Amino acid sequence: MTTSAPLVITGCGVVSPSGIGLEALTAPRNGAAQAEPPEGEFPPIPLAVIPDLRVEDYLGKKGIRTLDRTTRLALVASNRALATLDTALSDEDRARTGVVIGTSTGSIRSSSEFSRETLVREKPYLVQATLFPPSVMNFCASQIAIWNSLRGVNATIADGRVSGLGAVSYARNAIIQGHIERALVGAVEELCPQSAWAWHLSGALAPDAAVGEGAAVFVMETAEGAAAAGRAPLAEVLACEVGTLGMSDVRRGLATCIGRAMQRSGVPGAAVTTVSLSASALRGLGAAEEAGVRSALGGSLPAQLRTAGLLGESFSATAALQLADVLAAWRTDPVAAGAVALVVVTGDDGNVGCLVLRRPPG
Amino acid sequence: MPETASRRVVVTGLGAVSSLGTGARAFADAIRAGRNGVSPIRSFDASGFPHTYAGEVHDFDPRQVLRRLRVEEWGSSSLLAASAARLALTDAEIDPAQVSAARAGSAIGTTFGESVVIEKLVSQWVNEGLKDIDPVLARRAPANRIAAAVNAELALTGEAHTIATACSASNYTLGYAYDLVRTGEADFMISGGADSVNRWEHAGFYRLGALAESVCRPFDTHRSGILTAEGGVALFLEPLEGALARGARIYAEVLGYGVNCDAKHPVAPDPTSIAECIRAAHRNAGVRADEIDYICAHGTGTPTNDATEVKAVREVFGDRLPPISSIKSMIGHTMGAASGFGALICCMALHDGFLPPTANVTEIDPALGPGVDCVPGTGRPASPRIVQNHGFAFGGNNAITILGRVA
Repeated sequence: MTTSAPLVITGCGVVSPSGIGLEALTAPRNGAAQAEPPEGEFPPIPLAVIPDLRVEDYLGKKGIRTLDRTTRLALVASNRALATLDTALSDEDRARTGVVIGTSTGSIRSSSEFSRETLVREKPYLVQATLFPPSVMNFCASQIAIWNSLRGVNATIADGRVSGLGAVSYARNAIIQGHIERALVGAVEELCPQSAWAWHLSGALAPDAAVGEGAAVFVMETAEGAAAAGRAPLAEVLACEVGTLGMSDVRRGLATCIGRAMQRSGVPGAAVTTVSLSASALRGLGAAEEAGVRSALGGSLPAQLRTAGLLGESFSATAALQLADVLAAWRTDPVAAGAVALVVVTGDDGNVGCLVLRRPPG
Repeated sequence: MPETASRRVVVTGLGAVSSLGTGARAFADAIRAGRNGVSPIRSFDASGFPHTYAGEVHDFDPRQVLRRLRVEEWGSSSLLAASAARLALTDAEIDPAQVSAARAGSAIGTTFGESVVIEKLVSQWVNEGLKDIDPVLARRAPANRIAAAVNAELALTGEAHTIATACSASNYTLGYAYDLVRTGEADFMISGGADSVNRWEHAGFYRLGALAESVCRPFDTHRSGILTAEGGVALFLEPLEGALARGARIYAEVLGYGVNCDAKHPVAPDPTSIAECIRAAHRNAGVRADEIDYICAHGTGTPTNDATEVKAVREVFGDRLPPISSIKSMIGHTMGAASGFGALICCMALHDGFLPPTANVTEIDPALGPGVDCVPGTGRPASPRIVQNHGFAFGGNNAITILGRVA
C-alpha cells in the first residue's frame, strides 16, 4: 500500500459486550454483567456477553433459526456496517464488493457439536445434514455474501488473535489489485462453553479477566471510490503490517512491525495520539506487547485503549473490536483531524500486527 | 487491471505429502500413471459407516522431513502443511537462510483446520466433560496454527495466513501469494493447503448424499460422489528475475487468478457465477479462452459438480472445450489442499509435458454433452502452454488460477 492512494473506512458495524453500535462502546458500561450467557455449562470465570441480542430486529425472522452465534453476530455487524453508509450500495456495487472475515476456527461450538453427534448417536452418520455447512469455517463469510448479495471475493482468514488485521491485509490487496472495489472486512468470535473452558484451563488469562465475544465489520474502499459515491471516511487506513516477527521475541518483533508500519505510513511517531493494545486480558503477552510499543515509539506511550480489558478476551475478534474502539473514541474525543491511532495486536503464535489509522478532516 | 507495477512470478519449488507418496516427483509420477491412492480408513473407527474408504496418507513420518518443528507440539494438519513447505523449499534448491532473511511468508488453505485435534477434544468432552479437556491439546486447535507452523518450520517472519475458504482455499493462497511477490510486498512466498481426514466430515458428506462407496469417478455415467481425503501441498514462489539469476529450475509461471462468490446457496454451486470467475481469471492473467490448453477440474465426483462445472466451462469456451480432467479420481477430495494439489500437478504438466488423467472412467456421461475429453485412464504426453486450475467451495467461494510455461 502506498501513501498516495490510501484506503478508507466508510462504514462500521459492531456488536460487543457493550451493546450494538459504536455509541455503545463509549457509553457507560452497566448492562454487560447482567447479560445472559449462551446456552451451556461455562467455567467459573467472568464472562463478557453481548446484551439484548435480538437478531431478528436486524435480520428479520426468516432464515435465522439455523444460523449459529458466530454467523448471527457477523451478520448483524455487517448489516449495521452497510446501513450506516452515507450512500447505499447499488446492485452493481454489490457485484464488486467482497467479504473478508477473520475467525479462529469458525464456530468451534458448531463443529464440536456436529462432531459430538457422530459419537453419541446410535450410528455415527445419523447427524443432521443442515448442521454440516455451519461446521465449516467459511460458512459465516458466505452467509454474509448470501444475505447481502455480495459477489466479490469471499475470504475467511483464520489468523488467530491477529485475524482482524489479517483480514484487512487480504482485503487491501484484493482492492488495490482490482479484484473488488470494496470489501466488508472484519472479524468475529462467539462466546461458547468450548472456548471458555479452553481459556480457563489454559491459565493464559490475566487474573479477573473475562472471556468475551463480538464482531466488528467495516466497509473499506479506495478514497476516490468513497468520494465519488459521496461517502465520508471514518478513518484513513495508512498501513497494515502483519507477520510472524514475534516468534522468538514478541517485544522486539512487535517493535519492528510497528516501525515498518510507521515508515510506510509516512507519518512521524509524534503524530500518534492513541494506541490500542490487544493483550491486556492475557498474562505475559500484555506486558510484552506494551514493551514493544514503547520500544517502537521511543520510550513513550500515548493515550491507550485497552479494548480487551473492558470487553473481555475475544481471540480472533480482538483486532477488529480494537479498530471499532478507535473509531468510537474519535467520535467523543476532541482529537484533531490528522490524529494518528495505532491498532497493535499480538498473537500467541508469533504473529504480530500493526494498523495505522488517521482521522480524516471534517 | 492492477494499477501497481509488477514483476513476473514463477514456481520453483514443489512439495507434496499425499496418499500417493511424499514429494512432488513421487506424487506426479503416480498421477501420470493413473494410480489410486484410496484405501480403507485407518485414522478413525469407520466401522459404523456404510462407506469406509478415504484417501488417507499412510506411513508418513513428519520427523523425516521437518527440521525445526517439534512434532509432538503440533496438530496433524499443521504437520502436513509444514512438511510440504519444507519439501518445497528443499526442491527449490535455494539457500534456506536467504529465504529466512528476506521478506517471506506463507498463505495456507484449509477446510477443516486442525480437525483431528478438535475431534480428540470432543471425545474428551463426551467421555469426561468439558472441564476435563486437555488444555495443551486445546492450544493446538485454532486454525491459525497451520500457517504459523509453516513460518516456524522455515523460520519466516513475513505474513502467515491460514485461509479457510474451504475447498477452494489453496487457489486463494496461490492468488494472494502471487500478488505479494508480483508487487514486491514479499520476496518469496509459500502457497499451499492442508487437511486431515476426520469423522465429522465423513459423516457430513455421507448425510448430504455426496459420499462414494470406494471409487471416485468424475465425468463417468456411474459416478456416485466424492471420497474424503487428506494431504499437505506447497508451492514456492519467487520473482522470475531472481529465479533466472540463480539458475533455478522453473516449473511454471503464475499468470493470474480470479475469485468471486455465488452469494446464493450454502452448498449448491452456480454455473453462471463460475463462468464469470473463469472470465475474471482470464482477464487478470491477460489470456484468451482459446489459449487455454488444459483445465484441472474441481471434479469432485458428484453429479451436481460435473454438470455445473461442464456447463460453466461451456459458457466460456463454447463447444471447443480444452481437455478437462480430475485428479480427485485418484487421491479423493483433499478439501483445503485440493486446488493446491491441482496447482502442483499443473506445474508438473507444464514442466514435464503431459496432461493429468481422470482415473476410473469407463463411460463419459453423455449427459455432459459432446466434446468432453477428461483424459481417461493414464496421463497423455502433450505440450500444454497455458493451463487453468479450478477450485470451488461450499458457500459459492470460487477461485481459479492460471499457470503457464515460461516463454
